[in-house]
Amino acid sequence: MVMMKKMKGSQSFRQRLLLSTLSSTPISIDEIRADETIPGLRPHEVNLLRLLEIVTDDPVVDINETGTRLKYKPGTIVGGKNLVHSCSLSRSIGYYLEPLLLLGLFGKKPLSIRLKGITNDPRDASVDTFRSTTLNIIKRFGVPAEDLELKIEARGVAPNGGGEVLLTVPNIKTLSAVHWVEEGMVKKIRGTTFSTRVTSDFEHSMRFAARGIFNNLLPDVHIFQDHRAGAQAGKSPGYGISLAAETTTGCFISADTTVSCERPDETGELDVEKKERSPAEDTGVEVASWLLQEIEKGGVVDSTHQGLLFLLCALSEQDVSKVRVGTLSPYAVETLRNIKEFLGVKFAIKPDPLTGTVILKCTGSGLINLSRKLS
Amino acid sequence: MAADELMPSHRSHRTPKSGPTARKKSELDKKKRGISVDKQKNLKAFGVKSVVHAKKAKHHAAEKEQKRLHLPKIDRNYGEAPPFVVVVQGPPGVGKSLVIKSLVKEFTKQNVPEVRGPITIVQGKQRRFQFVECPNDINAMVDCAKVADLALLVVDGSYGFEMETFEFLNIMQVHGFPRVMGVLTHLDKFNDVKKLRKTKHHLKHRFWTEIYHGAKLFYLSGLIHGKYTPREVHNLARFVIVIKPQPLTWRTAHPYVLVDRLEDVTPPEKVQMDKKCDRNITVFGYLRGCNFKKRMKVHIAGVGDFIVAGVTALTDPCPLPSAGKKKGLRDRDKLFYAPMSGIGDLVYDKDAVYININSHQVQYSKTDDGKGEPTNKGKGRDVGEDLVKSLQNTKYSVDEKLDKTFINFFGKKTSASSETKLKAEDAYHSLPEGSDSESQSGDDEEDIVGNESEMKQETEIHGGRLRRKAIFKTDLNEDDFEEADDLELDSYDPDTYDFEEADDAESDDNEVEDGGDDSASDSADGEPGDYQIDDKDSGNISQWKAPLKEIARKKNPNLMQIVYGASSLATPLINENHDISDDDESDDEDFFKPKGEQHKNLGGGLDVGYVNSEDCSKFVNYGYLKNWKEKEVCESIRDRFTTGDWSKAALRDKNLGTGGEGEDDELYGDFEDLETGEKHKSHENLESGANENEDEDAEVVERRLKKLARRAKFDAESNKSELEEDDNDKGDGNNPRSQADEPGYADKLKEAQEITKQRNELEYNDLDEETRIELAGFRTGTYLRLEIHNVPYEMVEFFDPCHPILVGGIGFGEDNVGYMQARLKKHRWHKKVLKTRDPIIVSIGWRRYQTIPVFAIEDRNGRHRMLKYTPEHMHCLASFWGPLVPPNTGFVAFQNLSNNQAGFRITATSVVLEFNHQARIVKKIKLVGTPCKIKKKTAFIKDMFTSDLEIARFEGSSVRTVSGIRGQVKKAGKNMLDNKAEEGIARCTFEDQIHMSDMVFLRAWTTVEVPQFYNPLTTALQPRDKTWNGMKTFGELRRELNIPIPVNKDSLYKAIERKQKKFNPLQIPKRLEKDLPFMSKPKNIPKRKRPSLEDKRAVIMEPKERKEHTIIQQFQLLQHHTMKKKKATDQKKRKEYEAEKAKNEEINKKRRREERRDRYREEDKQKKKTRRSLD
Repeated sequence: MVMMKKMKGSQSFRQRLLLSTLSSTPISIDEIRADETIPGLRPHEVNLLRLLEIVTDDPVVDINETGTRLKYKPGTIVGGKNLVHSCSLSRSIGYYLEPLLLLGLFGKKPLSIRLKGITNDPRDASVDTFRSTTLNIIKRFGVPAEDLELKIEARGVAPNGGGEVLLTVPNIKTLSAVHWVEEGMVKKIRGTTFSTRVTSDFEHSMRFAARGIFNNLLPDVHIFQDHRAGAQAGKSPGYGISLAAETTTGCFISADTTVSCERPDETGELDVEKKERSPAEDTGVEVASWLLQEIEKGGVVDSTHQGLLFLLCALSEQDVSKVRVGTLSPYAVETLRNIKEFLGVKFAIKPDPLTGTVILKCTGSGLINLSRKLS
Repeated sequence: MAADELMPSHRSHRTPKSGPTARKKSELDKKKRGISVDKQKNLKAFGVKSVVHAKKAKHHAAEKEQKRLHLPKIDRNYGEAPPFVVVVQGPPGVGKSLVIKSLVKEFTKQNVPEVRGPITIVQGKQRRFQFVECPNDINAMVDCAKVADLALLVVDGSYGFEMETFEFLNIMQVHGFPRVMGVLTHLDKFNDVKKLRKTKHHLKHRFWTEIYHGAKLFYLSGLIHGKYTPREVHNLARFVIVIKPQPLTWRTAHPYVLVDRLEDVTPPEKVQMDKKCDRNITVFGYLRGCNFKKRMKVHIAGVGDFIVAGVTALTDPCPLPSAGKKKGLRDRDKLFYAPMSGIGDLVYDKDAVYININSHQVQYSKTDDGKGEPTNKGKGRDVGEDLVKSLQNTKYSVDEKLDKTFINFFGKKTSASSETKLKAEDAYHSLPEGSDSESQSGDDEEDIVGNESEMKQETEIHGGRLRRKAIFKTDLNEDDFEEADDLELDSYDPDTYDFEEADDAESDDNEVEDGGDDSASDSADGEPGDYQIDDKDSGNISQWKAPLKEIARKKNPNLMQIVYGASSLATPLINENHDISDDDESDDEDFFKPKGEQHKNLGGGLDVGYVNSEDCSKFVNYGYLKNWKEKEVCESIRDRFTTGDWSKAALRDKNLGTGGEGEDDELYGDFEDLETGEKHKSHENLESGANENEDEDAEVVERRLKKLARRAKFDAESNKSELEEDDNDKGDGNNPRSQADEPGYADKLKEAQEITKQRNELEYNDLDEETRIELAGFRTGTYLRLEIHNVPYEMVEFFDPCHPILVGGIGFGEDNVGYMQARLKKHRWHKKVLKTRDPIIVSIGWRRYQTIPVFAIEDRNGRHRMLKYTPEHMHCLASFWGPLVPPNTGFVAFQNLSNNQAGFRITATSVVLEFNHQARIVKKIKLVGTPCKIKKKTAFIKDMFTSDLEIARFEGSSVRTVSGIRGQVKKAGKNMLDNKAEEGIARCTFEDQIHMSDMVFLRAWTTVEVPQFYNPLTTALQPRDKTWNGMKTFGELRRELNIPIPVNKDSLYKAIERKQKKFNPLQIPKRLEKDLPFMSKPKNIPKRKRPSLEDKRAVIMEPKERKEHTIIQQFQLLQHHTMKKKKATDQKKRKEYEAEKAKNEEINKKRRREERRDRYREEDKQKKKTRRSLD
């Protein structure tokens, strides 16, 4: 009855699955890494499908033998309590959290899930960033603040993970549209450093270096320390930092990174050219500079969260949302295209040359949480 | 002055000083002045007695106030509202059509020959109506109930309410209750005034119980010359006007179109080849509900789901008058549009247009039918006339050509080259001047109809706008440049109509110049033809438009193009000269194009190209990192921090747009002055206010929005209070709401919503129309043309304009099918209970389909237990399979759709609670077994299970004997049993030894499957008078095939025969007996030969005792005797009474039969009459 949307390639895999589930359109993806040495789906992608099977009811997932073709027919999102999922170690928990946050909002029951795996990773946004920034962005769209929570029970870094977070997401009826163009001025900077299975000296030096950068600009800088030991420290040594700047209008801009051992490549061997690990001070300086660069770019969210912001806007009620972001990141552009394809929502994109920002406007798709039970 | 003096002096008005009017007035006056009407006699009685009580009372009042409040619903209708749909419903023969005709006549002064399909009229400056007559068919009633903004329930007052009315009311209630008003007709059938009054009163109260106390029931007292009296129609019209439709949840969330015109646009060759081929159709109608996006999926009620192949916004055939200073509506603005009704003698059929011209009204100045053959041949004519006619004939040789193009247009093909079109155009321009002047000068007393028919004829050729065409030619250039400024290019579709828009705008100007003498031509404004004709000019348009579009594209470098690919803008341009179907196919390709490829040929800087690129949201590519340790570098972003320059930062936030003009446009674009209802176009104040406004910032806008919102809210409130005052005079001054001045939560919400609404309206003002439609979809109130492909041919074949066609948009996930769970209640008027798994027909959302429900009830432990039948007066749960709808959608169920059903057709009403893919409904089963071997407390049970596998499934479950001994299933007991190996013998242990005669039960729950069946109703694909047949219920099948209801003999109740058990006398062994205590020992007393002394002894009463005894005996005898007598008389009386009763009954029976016969005869007559009238 319902036509399958046909797609190619593994790009924006998460968003396709997410939007397919939300708009309940079945999809089929062809030629997933068909020409590569190791064709087909990666472990984390398969793992994501498993996660979807946990939080939704009756999805149909059909993967061919080589893993180059996937057919996905979404089920209803149910959510629920006391769910546990161990994430694949090839990507960090942040990879799973992004789609899961939105899915949880549109579930039948409030979602409360324990995710196990790598909490901090340089490739994806760390769980600290989620706590400091992402959740705040979502709250802006009319999600009750008290129920949306991410608890870090244990930290784990690559390659062996061992971290654990507890995510609770309320279910809502609709997201409200936002009018969010005032970036405001940065009034305070907060951050977290962490270290697992290494000495907390790394943290000290990172904090010190980062604060040194901000000294010129802002006195209200506070970077917390989170040294974990024992079972809470996971299985691998590593350390990292996550910074978030809060502005006078309630915007959050973040930057983070993690330093840990290299994980083995897909082929099984370690990376041939090992990157030289820079000292902790340099890491601190680097992340602080990233943050400043993000602030310089402008916009109400940082480049990492642009995609999420657009998704939220597109999923909101049938009102006009207006947001301002810095330069569009490639991921955000990809998101915009996916949104158009699945939700039929197109954004009016208008550059603001004076500030070098971009203003986007869209009418939300008016997605209602269909699966929520009538009380 | 002199005249005044001469005039007889009028008697001055005497205000009544007594009587009901005076009383009412004085009361009203007192209320206005705030004087309490009733004097308090005992002041102490109403004082504050206790602080606690007073506090409580206050609390209570506040709570009541809060209960009254509803969450405000946001109304997402922007711009011109679509016409209100007024559905006129009633059983056949009550005068529905006459009501519509009278109302149309009242509003537009036009006569409607017959009511077929929706009739759109312009009533006021801001108000349009669309009248729909609801046929007497349950399917049509359902569809009508879904679109009605106001329902006029026409009731035959002489007959009383009929089931149809109540059915319709129920359907409406379920699908969101629109406004309802009753109209009583046939009141002239009453001869007795008293009876009439009583009937009115009775019917009114019955109506009130059904809707709400005080619902308006209107009386149309009778017919005069086959019409309702003008005064009453006028009053009814006023009631219709003041009604404000309220937003209903389902409708505000889904776009929908009530089709007022349908055309078959299948290529004729295809139809010729195969008559039953799938057709392409176009439907026309106003968009309602919410915005409509391209490529939306729609459901055509009674047909099925389709993807819309093409959507075009057309010029409104019935536009609201341009805002003028004049108070009322000018006659020429009183437009009407009813393509299927034959209003104005133009009848649209499936594939042709018929023009109906009365021969006596035809003036010679026009030759009808375009063939030059006048119809008034019979009349004598002079040479001059002939001459003129011949001249006209020569003129119309061109016209014939045009005629062909006209026909072509209906096939949606414009193949003629643009040159010929230009020529043809010249011809029009020359022609209309002449004809028009003739029509004006030639005949003064031409009535409207005559004029109209003339216009019609012209319409066929010119689109009804004669003079305008002529002027158009000269003004063309100015006009389209105006348009160019607006950049309101409607360019994605080949059959562009904004040419007509231009024409329209200009014609309005023209009208102002011309004054009022061209009302005749204006009356044809609403004609459908007027936008069609412009198709011929489309070649032209594309010519003059192309450079404009180029400019438009160059103007904004457009990040959108980079992001979304050029296709979105380029496609329409390329497709401009193609057919719609082509456009659509290419769109299709586009749709399925793998994204990677699209991006690859883009090759822009923001390309993400590679289809297998890593899926990573984190942005890490910062490239060169600045050295932020340096002061200068830091200073560059100093203003982004609170430590920097606040004013500069504010400036940054303020300049929202690109700065300059666009910005201005956005902020001070169109806004509506809500008080006066005037609309201010942005362009008016653009020139004047552009420079001044530049330095105002976002805050001001915010403030302005708030102000507007508040004003709107205030207006709404004042309206409401007015209404309240009108409706009931309860406001005694102690109404808490009137006292509460501080804004409550609801007020704040309302204000926030109003701001959102204003913002929604303003936000897209800086965009051109095309992008706007791309982004937000078509606005509600636009007149849309939807093209739908591959519709079953039956839809066209059996198309009946009397039946409304509803095209409803489908939201996300609503085209998926799944299980739904609903709270259902059998309608109290439906005679039978519903049976699980008997198919019912539900009307839910836009759809109607047949499905098989399984009823259940929630037990206290949360288990959903299956029910075989619906409870009599209770809600139950129903699970069924079908296309999903959001929770909280109501639906109504039927079992039989036939029109000749006697009873109430609505079987149940219900609301969807949730949907899930696994509906868990269970039913109880009892497995019964008997012991085949008993070993102490272990028993082997047979007949309970059929296989060992089954036993394995039930291991550990508890069992019980009839006598209440509990036990547990252990294992399959095959090996333990000595006798021959038999399957399905279970070893069970009990708490006590059981008997061989015991029965053992195992009680369990088994899940019930809900059948995956749903069958969409295809009522539009069959003759409308035929009843749709779907799956039959068990009962129907049994009746048809004459199968008796199967009877399980074991289930029958029968008297239990219990044999009296005879026990043998107790024998106590000697050995035991001697050990028994004396008390329990059997006493062996030998029999006596003679009775003992005590037995023998006689008792003799004392004399006194004897006396007493006799007296008592005598009394008893007396009593006995009287009783006997009384009984006899009673019996006699009873017999008499019985006889009397039987006699009465006989008489009554006879009378009733007579009555019934009369009634049936009457009914039959009525039916015949209606049938005749329908034929």
